[in-house]
Amino acid sequence: MLHIRELSLAFGKGAVPVLEGLSLDLQAGEFMSLIGPSGCGKSTLLRAITGLQKPSAGAVSLDVSPDEVAFLFQDDALLPWRSVRDNVALGLRNRGTRKAQARREADGWLAAVGLEGYGDRWPRQLSGGQRKRVAIAQCLALRPRVLLMDEPFASLDAIVRHYLTEDLMSWVERENLTVLMVTHDLEEAIALSDRVLLMGNGPRARIKGHFQVPLSRPRDLVGVRTEPAFRDLARDLWSALSEEVGPMSSTRPDLKVVNE
Amino acid sequence: MSMKWLGVYARRALALAVVLAIWESLAANGYVDPFYMPPPSAIGAIVVDQFASGDIWPHLQATFGAALLGLALGILFGIFLGFVAALIPYLAELLEPVMAMLNAIPRVILAPLFIIWLGIGIGSKVALSFILVVVLTFFAVYNGIRDVDQRLVERVRTLGGGRLVLVREVYIPSVVAWVMGNLKVAVGFAFTGAVVGEFVAASRGLGYLLSYAQSTYNASLTMALIFLVMVFVLFLFTLAGMLERYLLRWKGS
Repeated sequence: MLHIRELSLAFGKGAVPVLEGLSLDLQAGEFMSLIGPSGCGKSTLLRAITGLQKPSAGAVSLDVSPDEVAFLFQDDALLPWRSVRDNVALGLRNRGTRKAQARREADGWLAAVGLEGYGDRWPRQLSGGQRKRVAIAQCLALRPRVLLMDEPFASLDAIVRHYLTEDLMSWVERENLTVLMVTHDLEEAIALSDRVLLMGNGPRARIKGHFQVPLSRPRDLVGVRTEPAFRDLARDLWSALSEEVGPMSSTRPDLKVVNE
Repeated sequence: MSMKWLGVYARRALALAVVLAIWESLAANGYVDPFYMPPPSAIGAIVVDQFASGDIWPHLQATFGAALLGLALGILFGIFLGFVAALIPYLAELLEPVMAMLNAIPRVILAPLFIIWLGIGIGSKVALSFILVVVLTFFAVYNGIRDVDQRLVERVRTLGGGRLVLVREVYIPSVVAWVMGNLKVAVGFAFTGAVVGEFVAASRGLGYLLSYAQSTYNASLTMALIFLVMVFVLFLFTLAGMLERYLLRWKGS
């Protein structure tokens, strides 16, 4: 579904590349997580896939139109001067849907993420979790085949995070979305993904390991964490990551330690 | 309006009444010379007389005309130049130092030059208002565009927005916010420009009347005119505030 070939990316000519010769493939319907030390270029990779960042070499190719890719950002920034409804309608309008029709559809998507009747509000009138839901509605409204997520739930408290993750996963399952998620959270990565990719330290970051998650989907996001396979994989990933970062390194991973 | 604010206004009105009463009695009892410090009643009488006789109207018209025209042109050109400079780096290279130089001088000292160039008519007053407002607006817009929240730009781009959509959805609303935040200052500047221009050389306007009052040592007329300028600028501040609250309603209070 998504193919990355020998991708290199440097900020400015002559600079040390952040990413170098990086390749990976996502199968249709696959959920892949990308973990790695802070600053290793995980987010940069996502930005290169969406075209926000121009790679210096290599190629990103998709089996679908770029219109069918949605990007869920880490923060929940919405256009503060547009109503919640118009924020969701924007992507539709960019595709030529007429204003009235786009707004009607936006209301439908707001209802789908549990924000029925919130269309007339300003973004500032919503809580962080609600704004995140609007951002999800913005993505879903594009009817994507591929969803890219950059630590989508990092800023939310545990309960909100849990419910949002469940809701989002039900969309992913229902629409059979192909997902590439960047995360700091090792357990989240295992709980949601079919495959976890470990990225090495930057600069010149490369893929250091592929970890297949031997658990079928859809999953019970709470129960899955007590499965032996989950615990084993968490331990393997943790030691691989520690090795990559090193115990005395100044760039320790800001990961949740797996509780035994 | 809440009871709290009603109380605040009541106390303010009371304090003002006390100050005016003391001032009035000081003048009435000969503690201050009314020639230099005329009592509030004398100032009020002149204000009333100016309106009753209708003498003030052509002057008000001249000052308001010059100030509002200078304000409108200054904002329009300021937005245009700020936009262009922010989008075309080569032009910014040239414009930025010019604006910085203009910003560095107290621009009212350009008044004599404008009068030499444009005569004592309304043109020189509009020009002075304009130059005061345009520099302010230019920097508001120029910095506003350069400080546009890049997260929003990226959001709109990943939602399929091109350059035009970015301008409509991100840049214009950002600029409106910056201009509105500076609107009250701009109104004040526009009046400063018009009145100072008239003060230096004119045949009409509140500034012209001020200059006349000064040359005849008429302190009550001078103070009456200062009072009038204050009232009108406050009135325009209120209008500007209403416009700001409407256009920036997404910000909330």
